[in-house]
Amino acid sequence: MKQTLPLFIVFGCGFFMIIAFFIPLGGFQDVSQTFENWYTGVIAFFVFVGILNLVRVNTERIQKRTRDWQYSIILLIFLGIMMVAGFFIGGREGRLFLYLFDNFYIPLGATMFSLLAFFVASAAFRAFRARTPEATLLLIAAVIVMIGRVPVGYWIWHGFPSLVEWVMNVPNTAAKRGILFGADLGLISMALRVLLGIERSYMGGGKE
Amino acid sequence: MKFIDRLEHLDRRIIFLLVGIAVIIPMLIPLGLPVDISKPVKDVYDKVESLSEGSIVVVSADYDPGSEAELYPATEAFLEHCFRRNLRVFMLGLWPAGSNLGNLALEEIAPQYNKVYGLDYINVGYRPGGPVMLVSLGRNVADIVRTDYTGTPIDSFPLGRAVKSARDIDLVMTLSAGDPGVLHWIIYFNARYGTPIACATTAIMAPQQYPYISSGQLIGLLGGLKGAAEYETLVERKARAVGGMDSQSIVHVLLVIFIVIGNIILFSQRRKK
Repeated sequence: MKQTLPLFIVFGCGFFMIIAFFIPLGGFQDVSQTFENWYTGVIAFFVFVGILNLVRVNTERIQKRTRDWQYSIILLIFLGIMMVAGFFIGGREGRLFLYLFDNFYIPLGATMFSLLAFFVASAAFRAFRARTPEATLLLIAAVIVMIGRVPVGYWIWHGFPSLVEWVMNVPNTAAKRGILFGADLGLISMALRVLLGIERSYMGGGKE
Repeated sequence: MKFIDRLEHLDRRIIFLLVGIAVIIPMLIPLGLPVDISKPVKDVYDKVESLSEGSIVVVSADYDPGSEAELYPATEAFLEHCFRRNLRVFMLGLWPAGSNLGNLALEEIAPQYNKVYGLDYINVGYRPGGPVMLVSLGRNVADIVRTDYTGTPIDSFPLGRAVKSARDIDLVMTLSAGDPGVLHWIIYFNARYGTPIACATTAIMAPQQYPYISSGQLIGLLGGLKGAAEYETLVERKARAVGGMDSQSIVHVLLVIFIVIGNIILFSQRRKK
């Protein structure tokens, strides 16, 4: 029962939604719309589940004194501060929440992302090497795009941006299309496996 | 050969230092390099120009502070163009922090054009649910959006009452840093309701959008900070993105130099063997 009932729910809901997509009759549309509204409600609830999980995982890290457990304390303190500022001190209109968002969250997020520039530079020096003909081709394309996508490329040679557009529109698009078709066919087959109950790993490892 | 061996084992902190210098110096001494305009950016600009006054544009801020450096300048430039053309802006965010960042841009740009909240623009905040939420939003906005980001019912605003379904939306501009984002807007909004979609993405995501531009599912693209700089140039608002182009140019040149040096090392080692 523990496995059969979820399989029936998935089969029924999944195929109903597919049928409703192709049959634009009022009744079908009303029910599918109700399902969609339920889904958005459930997803919103997942935020709450996510917070609970975050608290549980980090509390365990602190209790067990695992590596870098001190960062978990900082995380939990700021999680609490942001929640109090958001819920009880005027929400997004509250000055404390906006102050924390503008002066902590934005600079910290931007800092983490900007570190990539340094690591990319180091990786370009050590790893981006023409070891094979394929790697050489990739390297040439990368250099063209890197130079042609910034104003200095246009300054060096006015034809650089057009060359970049060609790389993007022809070889890049052709390769991406191939990948997309392959991935989407795999997605359809996976969805069918889930709906038909062949693929059951999403239910976890519970027993009957 | 000793020099080559020394280069091979170059301390990566030297590389970091060189990148830091390449970023900072052009900020202090701007080079003023010319910004060329690419077709995907011009197509977005032309689409906005073609909309009649009062048209409704959904601006979806689907990013967080990690991508703020690339996407916030695009947000500002696009909003400036919309308000200059007297278009109405309906903002939301598929990412929790997105609508906050979008709101910062709205508060910066809207007063410059004397735009009134609720009449000319509205922010309905973070909307969870990704693809399914977009399907419901297009069918009936009231199912998904009942209040704005402050908790005020949206039907108390003229613009809130004007947007009932996808049929009332003339253009969607998604500022996208990943999932959920532009791909969901294309699949679940454009394909289903036919609403034109434009996007601004991080530079790393830009190549993935070209198949959709070529199929006509995306009308145009602002790729990375360069795309934002091009849009700033088109709307004659040279701000953060154009200012960042000199640094980005020098860093890209530096990266190419690193790649060339790395390959010189490779070939010299091969010859040695």
